[in-house]
Amino acid sequence: MTIYEVITVILLLVGCFFFLAGTLGVLRFPDLFSRLHALTKADNLGLGFIAAGMALHIASPWAAVKIFFIWFFTLLASSTSCYLIARFQREQDQPGKGKEDRE
Amino acid sequence: MSILIDGLLAILAIYLALQSLLAPRLSQSVFLFFAFGLALALAWVRLGAVDVAITEAAIAAGFLGVLFLDALRDFSSTISEKHNNTEAIQSSASRKKIKTFLLPRLAFGVGLGLFLLISLEAIWQIPQGGGLTAAAESMLPESGVEHPVTAVLLNFRAYDTWLEIGVILLGLLAIFVTGGIKIYTKPDVVAKDPLLRQVILFFTPVLFLFGAFLLYIGKSGPGGAFQAAVLWGAIGILLHLGGKPVFAMIPRWVGQLVLIMGLGFFLLMGFVFMSGGATLFEYPKAYAGTLILIVETLAAISIAAALTAIYANLNQMKEEPKENESAN
Amino acid sequence: MDVVFIIVSIFLLLNIALGLFRIWRGPTVADRLLTTQLFGTTGMAVLLVLAGYLQELTLLNVAITFNVLAILLVIGLFQVWKTRKERSDDNI
Repeated sequence: MTIYEVITVILLLVGCFFFLAGTLGVLRFPDLFSRLHALTKADNLGLGFIAAGMALHIASPWAAVKIFFIWFFTLLASSTSCYLIARFQREQDQPGKGKEDRE
Repeated sequence: MSILIDGLLAILAIYLALQSLLAPRLSQSVFLFFAFGLALALAWVRLGAVDVAITEAAIAAGFLGVLFLDALRDFSSTISEKHNNTEAIQSSASRKKIKTFLLPRLAFGVGLGLFLLISLEAIWQIPQGGGLTAAAESMLPESGVEHPVTAVLLNFRAYDTWLEIGVILLGLLAIFVTGGIKIYTKPDVVAKDPLLRQVILFFTPVLFLFGAFLLYIGKSGPGGAFQAAVLWGAIGILLHLGGKPVFAMIPRWVGQLVLIMGLGFFLLMGFVFMSGGATLFEYPKAYAGTLILIVETLAAISIAAALTAIYANLNQMKEEPKENESAN
Repeated sequence: MDVVFIIVSIFLLLNIALGLFRIWRGPTVADRLLTTQLFGTTGMAVLLVLAGYLQELTLLNVAITFNVLAILLVIGLFQVWKTRKERSDDNI
């Protein structure tokens, strides 16, 4: 095993840990907002670690750029969806309150 | 060892397919179907069919997802209006109702049995020696592209692809027929949320670029017109959801021209070369690559426009009865 | 090395399977949509790992396709359902 392989394995395992944390959070947390928090933070970090590990393993610059963009788009999409879902739910819970802010 | 992944994927896919049909609530079904699309895309990857995986990812994750959410909203309004507090009574009543419909169940069972028999027969008779793969591979240099799937879709079996574009257009026509054509009006929902606006502004060029990339890469690898079309269609849907309905903003004849462009150019080209002595959809060898790229681009634009129009129409058909009710 | 990739992919797939509980329990549409975000992210991770395991770089294109379309569902939910606030989610 070369040093790169060791680093790849470590990065993958750390990524798996964060994915497990995210899934457990989604399953166990009591309300939507804490679940959102658990999911959109932990899972993106996990994806980041796995992406870094795979970029190291594949070792091609073009693939590394693509993998970076995969992670970057996920960060953007995920944080936006976290915000939108939370806002959606708040408007469902308290009709009118979210509306005041927007208009 | 990798049989474990395949086994898990197979179990997941079949379980999700069953559950998305049998789930008691519609919202469960919709989101289980999304998970089913994901499992199916991964299964296609494991089977080595990356083209199909991209299509599955694009259609299941993007297009069908938003269509189903829209349908869910429609159903939820009917359900909450009609049976508000009578859920328990309703469910027991519907259970009794189902028991009386024995004949449809029997027919369904017989149909399912026949289908399974036919599938078994199909699996039994897998052609030895890879079927037509060798024939397709040997003709690859003459097709003008390097990727066998694209060669089959756009050159050897161009007739099928032409009909597929037609099927999507027919679906749109069916929606026109049921919903009326006066649909291209602006929705009153405009993206006032600053974050939503920014995200739509950011993802529109990204979707366009990646769609163009998939279209171009289809020449030499997995990708192609249909995958690009879903991504470009997603642009139209995003703009529609953000309060900028594309079809309401361009003149009507431009919209119609864009919708039929792919189908029309494909057919026109086929006839032009047929008049020169070739068979239908046979390309002259020297220009085959360029012509395929042009056909694919136009087809992708047409399909994208059709998908956008399908979503825009379905999304607004539901607004209408509500307005009528409030007017009454 | 391959064994590590296989174990990681199976682990991630099991994560997806666990997430199905949240789709079953709900209780709201937002919860279920949230779980599809989990599926999307985890599925992308599986695709990345498989891309390394199979040495097939075109799988990255599948991942990007998932990626750029994931936002569509959420914006769809947000914009399409915005007009209806009185409805209770539990009925559907």
